[in-house]
Amino acid sequence: MARLYGKVSSALGNNHIMRKLEPYVLLLPFMLLGLLFFLGIGNALLQSLGYIPALGLSELTLSYYREILQKPALLDSVKVSLAIALVSSVLATVLGVLLCAAMVHTGIAGGWRLQAIKLPILVPHMVVALFAVTFMSQNGLLARTLYQLGLLGSQGDFPQLLYDQNNAGIIIAYLWKEIPFVAYFVLALMSSVSSTLGEAAENLGASRLRTFFHITLPLSMPAVKKAFLIIFAFAFGAYELPFLLGATLPKALPVQAYVEYVNPDLRHRPYAMAMNSIMLLLTLAISAVYYWLLRKDFKGTGGGRYEK
Amino acid sequence: MKNKRSFFQKLILYTAILSIAAPVIVLLLWSFASRWAWPRLLPAGFSLRAFEELFGPHSPVMPVLLSSMGISLGVAVLSAAIGTFTARAIALYDFWGKELVSFGGILPIIVPGTAFAMGIHVVFIRLGLADTVLGVMLVHIIYALPYTVNIMLDVTRSVGDTHEVQSRVLGVSPSRTFIHVSLPQLMPGIMSSISMAYIISFSQYFLTLMIGGGSVKTFAVMMVPFIQSGDRTISSAYSLLFLASTAAVFIMIEALIKRFAFWRDKTE
Repeated sequence: MARLYGKVSSALGNNHIMRKLEPYVLLLPFMLLGLLFFLGIGNALLQSLGYIPALGLSELTLSYYREILQKPALLDSVKVSLAIALVSSVLATVLGVLLCAAMVHTGIAGGWRLQAIKLPILVPHMVVALFAVTFMSQNGLLARTLYQLGLLGSQGDFPQLLYDQNNAGIIIAYLWKEIPFVAYFVLALMSSVSSTLGEAAENLGASRLRTFFHITLPLSMPAVKKAFLIIFAFAFGAYELPFLLGATLPKALPVQAYVEYVNPDLRHRPYAMAMNSIMLLLTLAISAVYYWLLRKDFKGTGGGRYEK
Repeated sequence: MKNKRSFFQKLILYTAILSIAAPVIVLLLWSFASRWAWPRLLPAGFSLRAFEELFGPHSPVMPVLLSSMGISLGVAVLSAAIGTFTARAIALYDFWGKELVSFGGILPIIVPGTAFAMGIHVVFIRLGLADTVLGVMLVHIIYALPYTVNIMLDVTRSVGDTHEVQSRVLGVSPSRTFIHVSLPQLMPGIMSSISMAYIISFSQYFLTLMIGGGSVKTFAVMMVPFIQSGDRTISSAYSLLFLASTAAVFIMIEALIKRFAFWRDKTE
């Protein structure tokens, strides 16, 4: 007995000194990579302010931002990216919640159907771009189907969805990927809310629709909000789909930023970085909101368990 | 009334599943189509042209696919390991800066890839990491970590440290405790972290293009020009190979989990 006691206390004694240091040792690789990440972001911000010593630019200035926001062509890029992100993420959130509710209420939230819903999360954006081309181009499958049904006179009558300023193809391609993402992201929280408080409300006589809008949906909102922020930020800053499916002019911000970056005239580089920084600042503001939501949930009733 | 509503909800669900499956089926058709002109709904004939081109004797596809899978597997294992350590620190310890770590962890998902890629490019050139496999792997790990940390955080929290403390109290050394007590419980989470990190690394296009600078060729970087070019047969075949190779890796990981579970049952 005494031996066991001795072992316990020595184990605890060691722990006391070690436990202070242990978390930092465990975090070391994470911290080093985090440092690299902030070096990258910090460097982008610094260059956007005109600080590129290698090019003989060392004066800090906001003039690149001012020029971007004054040049109509560059301002258009900002608008394009905002429009794509806003439309695709609002639609994806609404439809994703609808799909999630359908999965929860039909009790079909597992098995092969869940695997099918998860599939788009795993398909990379460039393959989604190919899907968009095979379905939505003017000789794609949608146009062919309409033609066979006699609803379309010729290829040219099909609306131009790809490589066009309406960006419809990009938005639809994002929806294909993001509706399932939202549904999957919200599923855990919504099915647990629905199976407890939702059923209680129904037993007390509330209609299913009323239960959904007054109980299940409000209580699932933490997950819905986080899903929205993630897909909005992603669609705003992602390169692949606007690059593969977007119009020649105006280009989305990330695509235009890359065009400026690879311009042989190196004086274009601060413009690229200023465009990046505009994206960066907006998405950082979004992540601040995300963080705030996360903390609120931790303090609230158990919502933190579903943070993902 | 109830039946009608349930019908409506099933309609939503199956419409979603159909819309997800349709492009994948069409992808299969396109990869084997020899001729599929307007306005036919099905190909006029099938051929193996695309695959003969992909697997031909002078094709760089297989070497690039294999080296790309190697890079992504390396990234996946490292990301899962770092994710496991990081999640352990956050879940089981109290320390200064914990909130900062969990906030910083989510940033790579949210911050635009172009901003980070162009910013880090200059830094990497100076460090000699630009155009190297190591450099590409480092940035891939940075982008996979938010997911692996999150998965491991869930698993570590649910496993807790009660078994570990018991084992330590009974006099087992820390390293043996970790290998025989903690690791088996964390294994399912580690395997799904590896799968997730693999798919993120394997899908990465822009980051690889910037940091790899053309000298590090991954499968994603190789296939994008074909998708751009508009040759639907070839680009469908590339995409099919992309998805099939990913599925193969996932099945392999799944098999490893089963094998591991079997081994664990035997030793216990």
